[in-house]
Amino acid sequence: MIKRNFRELSVAVALGLLLAFLAVAAPAFYQPQPLLSLLAREAPALVVACGMALVIISRQIDISVGSQFAVCGVSSGLLVAAHWPVALVFPLAILMGAALGAVNGLLVAGLRLPSIVVTLATMVTWREGLRWLRQGQFVNLPDGGQWFGMAQTTGQITLVVAAVLLLVLLAWGMKNLAVGRQVYAVGSDAEAARLAGIRPPLVTMGTFVFIGALAGLAAMMNLAQSPQVDPKSGMGLELKVIAAVVVGGVAISGGRGNLWGVFAGFLLLACISPALTHLHIQAYWEKAIQGGIILLAVVADGLRSRRSNRTGGGAP
Amino acid sequence: MKQGLRTFFLRHETILLLILVAEWCYFNSVGRHFGSLDNSFDIVRHSVEIGLLAVVMTPIILTGGIDLSVGSLLGLCAIVFGKLWRDAGWSVGSAAMGTVVLGALAGGLNATLITWLRLPPLIVTLGTYSLFRGVAEAVTQGVDTFTNFPASFLFIGQERWLGIPAQAPFFLLVAGVVWLLVHRTTWGRSWRAIGFSPEGARYAGIPVGRRLATVYVMAGIVAALAAIIYTARLGQAKADAGSGYELFAITAVVLGGTSIFGGTGSVHGTLLGVAAIAVLNNGLVHARQPREVGGMLTGLLLILTMAASVLPKMLAKARPTGHATGRNTQSQTNA
Amino acid sequence: MPPLLQLTAVTKSFGAVRALRGISFDLQAGEVHALLGENGAGKSTLIKVVTGAHQPDSGHLEIAGQRLTALNPTSAREAGIACIYQQPALFPDLTVAENIALRLGKTTPLCRVRWSEHRKRADELLRRIGADIDPGAEVRALSMPEQQLVEIACALGASARIVIMDEPTASLTQSEQQLLFGVVRNLRAAGVGVIYISHRLEEIFALADRVTVLRDGESVGTRPIGELNEAELIRLMIGREMAHIYPDRGGTPGEIVLAVKGLNCAAGGVRDVTLDLRAGEVLGLAGLVGAGRTELARVLFGITPADSGEIRLNGKPLRIGSPAEAVAQGIAYVPEDRRRHGVILEMPIADNMTMAVHARIFPGTWLRSGVERRLALDYIRDLGIKAYGPEAPGGSLSGGNQQKVALARWLATRPRVLILDEPTQGVDVGAKSEIHKLIRQLAQQGLAVLMISSDLPEVLGMSDRIAVMRGGTITAMLPGGANAHEVMAAALGQEEGNQGAA
Repeated sequence: MIKRNFRELSVAVALGLLLAFLAVAAPAFYQPQPLLSLLAREAPALVVACGMALVIISRQIDISVGSQFAVCGVSSGLLVAAHWPVALVFPLAILMGAALGAVNGLLVAGLRLPSIVVTLATMVTWREGLRWLRQGQFVNLPDGGQWFGMAQTTGQITLVVAAVLLLVLLAWGMKNLAVGRQVYAVGSDAEAARLAGIRPPLVTMGTFVFIGALAGLAAMMNLAQSPQVDPKSGMGLELKVIAAVVVGGVAISGGRGNLWGVFAGFLLLACISPALTHLHIQAYWEKAIQGGIILLAVVADGLRSRRSNRTGGGAP
Repeated sequence: MKQGLRTFFLRHETILLLILVAEWCYFNSVGRHFGSLDNSFDIVRHSVEIGLLAVVMTPIILTGGIDLSVGSLLGLCAIVFGKLWRDAGWSVGSAAMGTVVLGALAGGLNATLITWLRLPPLIVTLGTYSLFRGVAEAVTQGVDTFTNFPASFLFIGQERWLGIPAQAPFFLLVAGVVWLLVHRTTWGRSWRAIGFSPEGARYAGIPVGRRLATVYVMAGIVAALAAIIYTARLGQAKADAGSGYELFAITAVVLGGTSIFGGTGSVHGTLLGVAAIAVLNNGLVHARQPREVGGMLTGLLLILTMAASVLPKMLAKARPTGHATGRNTQSQTNA
Repeated sequence: MPPLLQLTAVTKSFGAVRALRGISFDLQAGEVHALLGENGAGKSTLIKVVTGAHQPDSGHLEIAGQRLTALNPTSAREAGIACIYQQPALFPDLTVAENIALRLGKTTPLCRVRWSEHRKRADELLRRIGADIDPGAEVRALSMPEQQLVEIACALGASARIVIMDEPTASLTQSEQQLLFGVVRNLRAAGVGVIYISHRLEEIFALADRVTVLRDGESVGTRPIGELNEAELIRLMIGREMAHIYPDRGGTPGEIVLAVKGLNCAAGGVRDVTLDLRAGEVLGLAGLVGAGRTELARVLFGITPADSGEIRLNGKPLRIGSPAEAVAQGIAYVPEDRRRHGVILEMPIADNMTMAVHARIFPGTWLRSGVERRLALDYIRDLGIKAYGPEAPGGSLSGGNQQKVALARWLATRPRVLILDEPTQGVDVGAKSEIHKLIRQLAQQGLAVLMISSDLPEVLGMSDRIAVMRGGTITAMLPGGANAHEVMAAALGQEEGNQGAA
């Protein structure tokens, strides 16, 4: 059991070490309010990371999530600003995300185009389209709409709990529901999956729609936190979540990894920036350190598979 | 003969050339100064850096790889170039040499991780994408910019030499060398073989690791060159130089007909792809359209060309194959 | 009682290729029905029609008297059809139990998977076929034969009425083969219909009740096995009388070209191999699958370099660290897996043929298409390759012709040592004897040939000497006149040989 989850455990240990180190070096990190704010701020990205994990496990990639996130955020922001009830805007945002995801899904599963290029194209298209329509204007939300009318602390707790709950449900479902196993099966070997009676195009389509819907959900979670919506929001989100997924041990070649690892990887990356501030290291290093961690994670994977190839013998 | 003519017209490059001509004619009729020599040179000037990255991205994609880090590397090289010149007191020439060496080293880092540890290029260069940009930001503290370069240096980016934009000869030289490598030498043959089947190439005695390393190191060197030209054109070096360029470069390559799975493609296709994007963006400005429309249309164009290249084949032989892999389309016929 | 499976006048085309031209076929409950034919005769397509992977263009298909339309993999499985493919179609990243569960589980997406039950079920199924495999192991860690046993467990678990086996013994060891035969006989006794595809005639005579022979997409006849002998079967397959005659040996071997001493490679599972190879001889390398023969070839060719030991070529000590170095020294290797390693299917055959000789024929790295074309045309003529020209992509050729292209690539390097790995596997009978003649010719021209083969008659018929490998090392060196029994005994080793006989 330990051997099979070695990768996830090592990330969890790294996270534990970072947290322990912070407890000694910068106890201020653990003040409840800033910590809660940090978690609430990161909750939307965690939701998207869950979706990205599914997409990568099924051996695809989606780099258009950041743009989807922005499109959903701005359009639901406009609806909220037009005094539509939040209870109605909420499902609409998710639907809209799902529709954007379906575009990717149709092109990838239907036309069998490579997902990296398709989502690259949709990323640019949505982003530039949004910029064109909005001309960089922020959407100002009506007063009192923040936290969906809840108190700030309650709202923050709700967001964090919702994101974690989603992750737990997905982690359980990926292991225990037939559909979860199908995602792994398609990512592991699409042809074998087809022979086993699974329809890989449907599964691919499903994961893209799902990550789109989650991007919509994340956009709503983001909307709840601030008085306005930035049309530039979500830029770089795709890289952030892909990094979390990869650091969390999901193989970019599909079929391997799980959501617990993604959770650990996500927290590890999310803690870096505040850790830097508390340690009085300039925040400009954040991106370089993130890049370093991604490289470290893949180098570790590479070394491990080199070693297992050497002892396992036989064909590559 | 009829078959030959038909394949000529269905060739990706031909379609792209027609699109380019149509774009040119349309914008020429809409914009008043679009067709002028000055504007043509303007287009060239603005597309040289992305063009350089796209040209050098072509062999990478031919091998079935990808390099997401070139845009970030451009930024890092621009910063280091400025740093060497202003803070270390190097002459512009030696700073440029130093920058190229840095580019080669950065490309070497990608190459080492990809060939020695056999890691997927997508994820390695995603990591270095973050790393290079991050180091650039860290070095400049996010705010430092380098300006006041000597006029003799800015000449490369802003003036004309023998009547053409001064950076054009650099571009032509790089494009020519890469074209010869890809289409006329055994290197290009090896890259294609690796793109189709890395294992097959290894069993044929091709030194796969060395051939792969070359393309990534080459990309690093050319990214450094692009950084110098970029700095000369804008007269300043900032940490965000070239952000997003990797996407434009990849778009141009794929638009130019190179298969993202590796093996098939051409450098002249990439040049057409770069031209189509550059003309579109410039033309839209002349047609009084906001710049964002250009970006949006580029994305749409990319989807449409890919769909156009796939759909006829799909309609011709609607038969089940493994999905999303894109390869093995021929392997089924013998079954 | 209607037959278990009845195909009537089934046709299927891929573009211009007519893979099936109106085939009728029936399978009774409780029989083993062998399906035979050269490569490209339509066996695989027929199988894919039965498993629902391909839809027939015309004709129909009945199962137990019920006519089925629009069969797909799921409905075929529900109808009780299970297929064990040559290359096990398993998920390498999942465990054995998960693989079996995926095959047998319902496909309702939101239905819960009960892991403890699946594990128990997998354990029980594996025990029933006598396989010692941990259900919790990841499939990527299993050997090819073990994966095949998992496939069989899946078929068993699906309580299939119709089981299709496509060359199931291609990668099995002798004792695993016996195990498999036992499983097949059990299935037959339980009233299951088995469609059995194999190139090995002795297996067909040992197992089958009836035989159907396909040729060019048509059925040339179905006969009870008792009415046939080996020669008649071959005649049916190729449509002409042809006894397989191996080319004459002859000529005396020259001096030692390749001398290997105490060669070890832990990664390849090769230990302490000592071997001499002379100019002008064909040294057959026999042994069971997994004995380390391909691994030895991979060490000699530098794919998995040796850890220790000595390799001398014409008396000069060598270190071979990569295929490129091996090629430079005059060692050539025609690999076993043609489609993955032998030829690059998407590239023209001319490009394929010159791939290993870039340095020689393209001095200064510049491509010279005239030289390349001439070289390709020469080999197309000399080896009798059937292709529409040097620009034909490798994937458009038949298996035998692909093999000749792979061979041409290595002959172009003018090697001193030629290693052939299963040179005639999956090649039809006609091309097989052409390749045999070619190998002999090459040896007569002074080439040192090391021929790995699992086809015992081929080893016996072709070799001047026979080296037998077992457990990663050479256990016996037999003269060319050795008989099958001696080779098998050496390959099996004493203990296992006794077990097999018992």
